[in-house]
Amino acid sequence: MAGTDIRNDAAVVRWFESAHLDELTPEEQTHRLALLADFCDHAGQPPGELAAGVLRTTKDGETAISAKRRTAMNTSIDEFVEKSGFTGKEAVINGNIIRSFLVHNGIFIQGRAWRG
Amino acid sequence: MGELLQVMGNRRSIRYFEPDKPVEREKVQIMLEAMNRSSRAVNADFVKAVVVYRDELEPDVLEQLKTPTTTAEIDMAPVHIFCYLDLSYTDGAQGRLKELVQLGALNPSHGWSETYVDEVVWATVLKPIASDPGILSYIGAIDAGVAINQGMLAAVDQGLGVCLHAFNTDVAKKALGIPDHWLPLHLLLVGYPAEDPLTGGQRPRRPLSSQFFMGNASTPWEEIPAVTEQLKQAGLIQNPVDAEKRRAEVRSLAQRFGLPE
Repeated sequence: MAGTDIRNDAAVVRWFESAHLDELTPEEQTHRLALLADFCDHAGQPPGELAAGVLRTTKDGETAISAKRRTAMNTSIDEFVEKSGFTGKEAVINGNIIRSFLVHNGIFIQGRAWRG
Repeated sequence: MGELLQVMGNRRSIRYFEPDKPVEREKVQIMLEAMNRSSRAVNADFVKAVVVYRDELEPDVLEQLKTPTTTAEIDMAPVHIFCYLDLSYTDGAQGRLKELVQLGALNPSHGWSETYVDEVVWATVLKPIASDPGILSYIGAIDAGVAINQGMLAAVDQGLGVCLHAFNTDVAKKALGIPDHWLPLHLLLVGYPAEDPLTGGQRPRRPLSSQFFMGNASTPWEEIPAVTEQLKQAGLIQNPVDAEKRRAEVRSLAQRFGLPE
């Protein structure tokens, strides 16, 4: 999957709008899209399913975040970052770019902060 | 108007800390003493707190304390204060009340006597509280909150930033040796703010008339404009957040720390 393939995905559109990513340089935007596309390949899911997969429906029909699936998603992001060969600050930034996509699609999730 | 109002006005929930700027133990002690001086029923020590310097924790314990919802803050804040409600707060209450009677803090003018404390208080006041977990925890949580707030304001007065968080209570209990009768309340994160400590302005608050009433619950409190103006001058009431300015600040901080934008 390429970054250009996912740009019009509804979840990606939401991400760009909510995070004001259109304000970034074209290179920065391309990097984010390519990274998310690679993660989708890693996870075997299109963007919209990534976020939806962390959600669950309660007995009362409400939408909730599955704590177990969120933990699994965090682990999957860390695995992806490691597998991609990112290290140091680049690893933190790129993992958190994936989390940014999830955050702007309603998933309350955090990654580590770079302390330099 | 005193500095206290300015400190209260300056308090914000700080979520970006300078991760490597050490927090002086002296300042932490000031926070703890402020908590220790808080108003409290039966002169009990409702709050028990464990101060943890992040970099003194075993790395594996630090990792375990992180959850998918508290990772970044734990990475950034140099000091973590794990706050608990000590559910044994009624233990020894009779002795403490008697001491207060002897010191005149509790006095006959208000109905207090050593005899009342000796013969009545336990059976009719303290025992019913101690035997009902719901009442025990909600009464305690109020006084614990009062204490924690004093500690937070003392921190702001020392130039520190603070924010209350949820935490992984099971991991913390094991890692910190927390006894069974301590009820988890909050993780108080402490550090020097990496963000503007005033974060562009105060968070929105509703008018007094929507929360406070005069004489009965259907008569809203009427603000006295001159007092409101005085409070603005004193710094308790400050300008609201400038959302555009704040968004730019968040983006800058996110880029610095590699966090989601």
